[in-house]
Amino acid sequence: MVTVRVPGLLADQAGGQKEFEVDAPTVRGALEALPVRDLLFDERGELRPLVNVYVEREDIRAGNGIETALGGGETIRVVAAIAGG
Amino acid sequence: MTPAILVGTRKGLFVLKGDEARREWELEGPHLTGWDVFHAVKDDGSIFAAANHDVYGATVQRSGDGGKTWERSEGLGLPEDTGLTLEKTWHVEPGHGDTLWLGAAPGVLFRSDDRGENWEPVMSLIQHETRERWNPGAGGMCTHSIQVHPTDPNTIYIGISAAGVFRSDDDGKTWTPKNKGTAADFMEDDRFPEIGQCVHKVLLHPEQEGRLWQQNHCGVYRTDDKGENWERLEDNGLPSSFGFPIAINHLKPNMAFVIPEDSVRGSEGEVGGGDRLTSGGRLGVYRTEDGGKSWGLASNGLPEPAFVEVLREGMASDRSDPVGIYFGTKSGSVFVSPNEGEEWIEAARHLPAVLSVEVAEW
Repeated sequence: MVTVRVPGLLADQAGGQKEFEVDAPTVRGALEALPVRDLLFDERGELRPLVNVYVEREDIRAGNGIETALGGGETIRVVAAIAGG
Repeated sequence: MTPAILVGTRKGLFVLKGDEARREWELEGPHLTGWDVFHAVKDDGSIFAAANHDVYGATVQRSGDGGKTWERSEGLGLPEDTGLTLEKTWHVEPGHGDTLWLGAAPGVLFRSDDRGENWEPVMSLIQHETRERWNPGAGGMCTHSIQVHPTDPNTIYIGISAAGVFRSDDDGKTWTPKNKGTAADFMEDDRFPEIGQCVHKVLLHPEQEGRLWQQNHCGVYRTDDKGENWERLEDNGLPSSFGFPIAINHLKPNMAFVIPEDSVRGSEGEVGGGDRLTSGGRLGVYRTEDGGKSWGLASNGLPEPAFVEVLREGMASDRSDPVGIYFGTKSGSVFVSPNEGEEWIEAARHLPAVLSVEVAEW
């Protein structure tokens, strides 16, 4: 199991839930298990470009990206990109 | 029933609830905090909102309890073989029965036959033979105007920037450009093309058969034959050809309202869109009572000077008698005229930038 934490706007869209426990072998699988998956991925299944994802504080784009493997017990944080001040 | 205004803003949806005279208004909200609400409409007890977010994409949100809780329509997107991806949702228009229409960018239309549970892209528009000649306006290639004939579900009009006006006579199976007489002054080599016009807003008169009004990047227009021929109207009393919203009077087919921006004369070869501020620094609502032959100021009660913008979805009219006219500004005010533009009341101020105004009942 891993823990996924989402920001407030996504929590609003998930009925107020900010944290999810999911069982998935990859980051993609973990995010696709969320009730807000359509807000994280576009209709092609691509992670939206301004959605940042960190596994244990590491930016997945600096590593294996959305296919990053999970061993269990990790904390995944979804953070909206900050730009423009 | 209480008169109400759905105010879509850059930071969520607000609801203004009015008294019977439409003079006192109470503010409620925001709902959908953080979302750009391009347009919202109340139909058969539910609110439908075209809500967009720079990070999380384009959605349609529904509320069956007056905005307390919201449900997103999932699965909204375009087929991979179209080569298109959904950019923004722009306008939700109730059709007949359980049908809803959704206008979106890039120049696409969706249809729901189960009141927004599921949406299907209208492939006849995606595959339209003229699509290669469409171009995005400053706001993207948006399908922003959708007008369904009040008694004939087969007849539907849409407006796309910058592709022009299209009409379907077969419930959306086929679409024909209807832009004859509508200028594209920005096209030096062909000012009256079949398609490519930068339509800003189109409204169908619900009572007078065949009549539509249009505010275009290049002029104000009226048609009396279902879009077969458009007549340009702005050269008698309007300070500019350019503007975004338009409103009509369901009881008086010859009455319409516009809010000109810039100070350009299309008849003199000028093309608007450079300033995008109310003409002459005056928040001027201009009204015609003779089908567009002449226009006069109807701005009693509006601030002056006022350098503001009113967007294409930022104006609406109700179905009361006398007709109420409503508009919101990008500087966060909502103005109401309970009497066809004779006087104006500021119903709200200091809201986020107003993207849309729609009339509802509560």
